[in-house]
Amino acid sequence: MKEITSKLQEIATRLFNEGKIDVFLAWEKGEQEFQTKSYIAHSVDDVKNIIFNEYSIYNVSNALLKLRDGHEKIGIAVKGCDSRGVVRLLEDLQITRDRLYIIGIPCPGLKDPLAAARSFGGLGKKESDQGLAKKCLECIQPNPVIYDELVGPEQTPRQQGDRFAQVREIEQMSADERYKFWEDTLSTCIRCYACRQVCVACDCRTCIFDEMKPQWVGRETNTTDNMMYHLVKHAHMAGRCIECGECERVCPVGIPLMLLNRKLIKDVGELFGGTEAGLQYTEGAKPALSVFKENDPDNFQ
Amino acid sequence: MKVLSKTKLEAALNKLSESNEVFVPMQKKAQSGYYPWTSFVSGDEIMLEALNVYQSPKGAVLPQTEKMYQIKQGGMEIKIDKTFEDDHPTIIFGARGCDVKGILAMDEVFLTRGYEDSFYKARRSANTIIANACYEPGSNCFCNAMEVNAVDPAGADVILRDAGEAFVWEVKTEKGEAVTAIIADLLEEKEVQLPQSKPFNQKVDYSGVAEKLKTMFDHPLWDKLSASCINCGMCTFVCPSCYCFDIQVKMWGEEGYRFRAWDSCMFEEYSREAGGGNPRGASKERFRQRFLHKLEFFTERYGTPLCTGCGRCMIVCPTDVNIVRIIDAVKEAEVNA
Repeated sequence: MKEITSKLQEIATRLFNEGKIDVFLAWEKGEQEFQTKSYIAHSVDDVKNIIFNEYSIYNVSNALLKLRDGHEKIGIAVKGCDSRGVVRLLEDLQITRDRLYIIGIPCPGLKDPLAAARSFGGLGKKESDQGLAKKCLECIQPNPVIYDELVGPEQTPRQQGDRFAQVREIEQMSADERYKFWEDTLSTCIRCYACRQVCVACDCRTCIFDEMKPQWVGRETNTTDNMMYHLVKHAHMAGRCIECGECERVCPVGIPLMLLNRKLIKDVGELFGGTEAGLQYTEGAKPALSVFKENDPDNFQ
Repeated sequence: MKVLSKTKLEAALNKLSESNEVFVPMQKKAQSGYYPWTSFVSGDEIMLEALNVYQSPKGAVLPQTEKMYQIKQGGMEIKIDKTFEDDHPTIIFGARGCDVKGILAMDEVFLTRGYEDSFYKARRSANTIIANACYEPGSNCFCNAMEVNAVDPAGADVILRDAGEAFVWEVKTEKGEAVTAIIADLLEEKEVQLPQSKPFNQKVDYSGVAEKLKTMFDHPLWDKLSASCINCGMCTFVCPSCYCFDIQVKMWGEEGYRFRAWDSCMFEEYSREAGGGNPRGASKERFRQRFLHKLEFFTERYGTPLCTGCGRCMIVCPTDVNIVRIIDAVKEAEVNA
């Protein structure tokens, strides 16, 4: 990974010097050994702070949202999952391809700095030694799907077995059992909206949950409002979730949010087929559920 | 000294729960926080020996969602049917000094300076705090720098001291006497060895920070510090002293109720004005507000910082925002006079 770091720094330096970019998005070292955070380098002097290590798990494509209204030319380092985020933003016309210079990093699988921080901080139960993060063990696309330059050797997907096994288990439940399962699971939500904030597919300028007139979802933390929040949020992700797993990783109360996302990925796949969200960029292409056709065979319900 | 043998802990919690709702630090599956003892089921764990739990006990006196009053509308008239000042007796069992300080800070806000919040007052008056003295600070702890005495926390009605086989039971106040009476037959007189206090790992110097921040509202350091923040509200919701709330109403036709729910300065909606403008529209501005409130404004008004040094926000933050480094950065910053 040291090699990748120096390669990234080399490329960023070159791009800054050639005047091809104004900023470079990547990661920098955090407070502790196990902490790495997203970073925006603004000049060649900042390049030395750029790092790629076993904790560079944060999906940096999310940081593009902070720059969507500007005109800067942006260099960005992306792993497989991050690159799918970039595709999503391109499809949603949140950023234009000509503003981006993308460095792809085939990802070997990373560790979760938050899990490490929990163990280190001594809150709650000690967690056992950190292997690869859950989201990395479930990864189907470690290699970047869009890039101008690639750094490092290709990797093989780490997802083993049936990716939808848990979804199928829940589908097998009776309606009452399933309701109970989600009621219990979502009752613990503290509505901090970290799952939304960290999500690159959540790129709406005004979020439905922030609207007051009308207020679509109540602010009480109870079963009704919590369910409404999660079901609506995740339904919005249908055909859009790039499976980066960040929502589930950052959740402070451990809600298995990827279960909801995978259910939708499975359904959208079965109903519409086609390529999964963000796996391939074709200019002008729209994901399922983003297009309206007058001759749609189904009624608008 | 009075001690409570650990073998009698569950009996004591059962006894106390007969007449009080007792909040105990517990691990419940993936979650850890203060939960009512009566909700304990097999598989749960009492976390008195852990450093702390994720969710602070502030919910015992300021629940995340709290019904305030019930309303009925008739034409132009509005009638308040019922108010919900809740004064059922509660005990926070085993709170660390940092978390007790969080509640003391809320006492200042809700009970002093000319206005008493009747909802908070009802809960707080009926609330007893049994603190758990802290002898071994964790890797993120810095309460010593934020005016907290971890071994002798101010505001505790009873202080527990973990002496291995038993907790020393040290009564501090009348409220403490009252809960002690409930479990008197479970306590023993015994001399036990108290643990030695271990040093703090974090070195934090808060002195002069509040004063210096007065001149730093427009300092460029906020751009840099806030760069990675994504404005979720996790830090504010796990914080033992963040008390901001929003009051809203739910109506069905002509009936409904008003409630308040925790809110977060990290949210855009929090500072949005009725006309649509927002004085803190940008991410940096909301970020700055949080830290100025913790480190400057509260100190100016109440003479003590609003951060209690529990370290939770540094653990949960998905983008590694670190309040200790912010204090350092403020200390080191150059300010043009």
